[in-house]
Amino acid sequence: MRRAAWLLAGLLLTGCHRVERADPASEGNGTTTPPPVSRDGGQTLRVFMWSDYIDPEVVRDFEKREGVRVVIDTFESNENMLAKLQGGGASYDLATPSNYVVQTMVRAQLLQPMDKAKLSNFGNVAAGFLNPNFDPGNTYTVPYQFAATGLAYNSGRYVPPAESWRLIFGPEDRVRFALLDDPREVIGAALKYLGHSVNSTDVEELRAARDLLRRTVRKRGFESFSGGPETRNKLLAGQIDLGQIYVGDLLQGAAEDKRLKVFLPREGTTISTDTLVLLRGSPNPALARRFVDYVLEPEVSAAISNYTYYGNPNRAAQPLLDPFLRSQKAFSPSPEDFSSGRVEFINELPRGVAPRLYDRIWTELKSR
Amino acid sequence: MRPRTSPLLAGWAWLVYAFLYLPMLVLIVFSFNDSRFGATWEGFTTRWYGVLFARSDVREALTNTLLVAVSSTLISTVLGTLVGFALWRYTLRWRTPLTFLLVMPIVIPDVVMGVMLLMFYALVRGGLERAGWTFENGFWTVMFAHVTFQISYVTLTVRSRLAGYGQDLMEAAADLGANTFQAFRQVILPLALPGVLSGALLAFTLSLDDFVVTYFTSGSGFRTLPVLIYTSVKRGVTPDINALSTLLIVFTAAVIVAGSLLLRPRRGRA
Repeated sequence: MRRAAWLLAGLLLTGCHRVERADPASEGNGTTTPPPVSRDGGQTLRVFMWSDYIDPEVVRDFEKREGVRVVIDTFESNENMLAKLQGGGASYDLATPSNYVVQTMVRAQLLQPMDKAKLSNFGNVAAGFLNPNFDPGNTYTVPYQFAATGLAYNSGRYVPPAESWRLIFGPEDRVRFALLDDPREVIGAALKYLGHSVNSTDVEELRAARDLLRRTVRKRGFESFSGGPETRNKLLAGQIDLGQIYVGDLLQGAAEDKRLKVFLPREGTTISTDTLVLLRGSPNPALARRFVDYVLEPEVSAAISNYTYYGNPNRAAQPLLDPFLRSQKAFSPSPEDFSSGRVEFINELPRGVAPRLYDRIWTELKSR
Repeated sequence: MRPRTSPLLAGWAWLVYAFLYLPMLVLIVFSFNDSRFGATWEGFTTRWYGVLFARSDVREALTNTLLVAVSSTLISTVLGTLVGFALWRYTLRWRTPLTFLLVMPIVIPDVVMGVMLLMFYALVRGGLERAGWTFENGFWTVMFAHVTFQISYVTLTVRSRLAGYGQDLMEAAADLGANTFQAFRQVILPLALPGVLSGALLAFTLSLDDFVVTYFTSGSGFRTLPVLIYTSVKRGVTPDINALSTLLIVFTAAVIVAGSLLLRPRRGRA
C-alpha cells in the first residue's frame, strides 16, 4: 500500500508538467557494476540475536582470544527470526530465541543438539534454568538472559500500597495503569492473580481470567497496552501510575532515574528466557560451542547482564553483577520462587482448544 | 480567473499539514534532547550526533544502504525505461498480462515479496551448489530484490510520460533517416527524461527505506540502515537513532527538492 502511494506521487510528479522540447543531447545510460562485497579470509562466527543484547566489549574480547570475527545480526521479533531461518536465506551459527519458540524450532528441524558435554562451563547455570520444560535435559538450549515480568512505578509520583496484582485487578479504579501488549503476559497475569498457572488450559480458569480482564480494561484507570520502553516513558511523564513491564526494560531506565522502581507481585508472575541455540545449518559448530562456553564464564555472563540489565541465569556470575542490579529484588527471583511455582515460565500451549481460547480472549480485549 | 480558496478549506489544509509534519518536527527536536529516554525535555545537546558518528555499525549500514540504492537504481532505471518505451512503441501480443505483471510488485504486500524472494534465492543456491558453486545472500541478493520492485515504478512513470505522444514522432524520425535506436536516443529519450528521472528518484527513495524485502533477502552480516533501525525498536530506540532519522529526513527532503528543481518545466525554449 505504501509503495502504491509512492507510485501515485511519482505519476503526479511526471504528469504535472510537460516539456515542450528538451535538449537532444542526453547522456547514454551505462550500466555500472557495483563493487563486490569484500569477504573475510578468516573464520567468522555469525550470531542472530535481539538488538543491543550483548556487551560489545565481550564480543571484541572473544574475537581477540580466538582470532576470529564475530558478526551479529539483529531481529525484532521471534516470528520474524523464524521466518528468515526457515526460508534458509542466511547461514547463522547461533540464535537467541525466547523459550516459547524453542519447541517450534525443534519441530521445524532448525536446531542441532547443543551437546552440553562439550561445554566446560555448563555447570554454572542456575538450578531454576536447568532442565526447563520447553527443552528437557537442555538438549538444545543454554539459557542466555531472562526477563521476569513485574509492575513498575515512579516513586516520585506514586507509591503503591502493596506489591500485588490487586492494584490493577482489584476493585480500586483510580490507579492509572498500562499492560504489556502481549497476550500471554496479560492473560498470564490475570491467571496468576486468580491463583492459577500462567500455562493453564482449563476452560473454566480461562473463562474466569477473561471475565476479570474484561472488567479490568473497562476501568477508568486503564491507559493502554504498550511495550517496555513506552511504559517507562509514560511512568516518567506521569501518564500512568503502574505499568506491567519486563524488569530489564525498567531497570535500564532506573539506572538513570532512581525514582523508577519495579516489583514482582506477590501472587506470582511470568518469566521468559532467551536461549542460545545452535542452528542446524551452522557453518562452524565447533566455534559456536566455544562461544557458548565463553558466554557461560562468570565474568562474561555478568558483563552481559551489567550491559543489558536483563536477568542473569548464571549462578557463578551473581557476585560479579553490578551492585545496582543486585540491590533490586525484582532483578532475580529466588530459587524458592521457582520451586514454589510463584514464578513460572511461559510455555508453548499444547495444540487444541487452549490456543484458540487465548486468541479469542486477546482479540476481545484489544477490540474493546 | 481562478477562484479563491475558501478560508475554511485553507485552514483544513494547514491542519492536515500539521498532522503530517508535527511528528517529524518532534523527532527532530528530540534528537537534541539531553535525556537517554526522551520522555521529557532535559535540555539541548548535540551529543547524540557524536554518538551516532562514532558507531561503526551505523557507518557500515549507511555504506551498504547507499551502495544498494545507487546500483539498483541505475539498473532498474535502464531496464525500466526500455520496457516503458517498448510498451509505448509496439503492440505486443501479451500486453495485458505484461502490464499485470508490472503492477504486481507494487500491490503485493512486502512480506510476501520478501519471503518469495528468500525462497527463490534458496532454490537458486541449491541448484548452484549442486553445480559446485556457492553463494550467500548479501549485497547481490538485496540489490536484485530491489531491482525487482523498482523496475515497475520506473516503467510505469516512463510509460505514463510517453502516453501523451503519438507514434508519428517515430515515423517523422524515420523519415529523417533515423533508425529505431537513433530515434529512441535522440527523440524519445529526451522527451521521456522527466519520467525517467522521477522514476529513478522514486526507485532510489524506495530502496533507501525498504525494510521488509531487505530483511528477508540480506543473509547474514549485511545490514542496511532501515534494518538496523527497525530491529532496534523492540528494545527501545536510543536517542542516537533519532539523530540518524533526522539526518535521513533532511537528506530525503534534499533529494526531493533537487528532483523537483530538475523536473521544473523549462520555459522559453520553444
